[in-house]
Amino acid sequence: MAEQDTQLSVLEALDHLLDRGVVIAGEAVISIGGVDLLYLGLNVVLANVDTIMRVTGKSK
Amino acid sequence: MKSIGIGLHLEAEDVEPVAKAVSAAGLFVSAVEVPDDQPLGDRDLLLRVSALRAALLERATFVAIRYGFTFRAASEAESKIGAAAPQWRRILEENRTRVELTLKIAVGDAHPRPDRHAFASGADYLRALQVAKNAAVVSDEFRRQVEKHIGALCVAYRWTARDAASVELAGLIERRTLPSVGPAGEALKRACPDVPFLLSAPWPLEVFADVDLK
Repeated sequence: MAEQDTQLSVLEALDHLLDRGVVIAGEAVISIGGVDLLYLGLNVVLANVDTIMRVTGKSK
Repeated sequence: MKSIGIGLHLEAEDVEPVAKAVSAAGLFVSAVEVPDDQPLGDRDLLLRVSALRAALLERATFVAIRYGFTFRAASEAESKIGAAAPQWRRILEENRTRVELTLKIAVGDAHPRPDRHAFASGADYLRALQVAKNAAVVSDEFRRQVEKHIGALCVAYRWTARDAASVELAGLIERRTLPSVGPAGEALKRACPDVPFLLSAPWPLEVFADVDLK
């Protein structure tokens, strides 16, 4: 498999891991890129690192 | 130590020895143990859980848990899985021989994502985001070709507007049909060479595990 295809497969797998599947009730905290993302009840709040960095004023 | 939940399974043998099987609410939660202070966003951990997810799917179909669910004891997992467990058991029993496929389509004339600074309230911004998301559509001809080549392989399928720039089709297919997915994607590419799409399979029950949609 070409390197590009491998990278695409990894990205696709991570996309499924992070953004699909059933959401179990409860609260957890995820930290990506050093910024905590809060799961609030059943509503998952996810944003990409770039957005978070801008929101928290850490962008370059 | 804390456990990260990966999926919901019918049998312990579907999980072990790939991952730890935790009995909860009449199902088995596949899990991986990590230290309490382990950040969930750690790159290597994400890749490890992703690889475990794939290995588990090779053994048997399961209901995927969105990443981030952690617990410290079986009783905690049981209380959080709670009332939906019987519905997930029914979904697992009905789809024991099936997996999901995903077709992602990039929309050429995507509705621009709204600028959050242009709105006076968060509610207005969220409404505009929803409008942009729903504005992402594919042509009728492409949709027909997808349903002809990909939909025909599926027991069921659903179209969803993923975001302002893409539309997605999730399909439920029999495992024995998996060898036909690649050729079907190639046929779709020949029929619609100008439409960028990504076809992937197999995936665990993700879209079709949503008890609210059943």
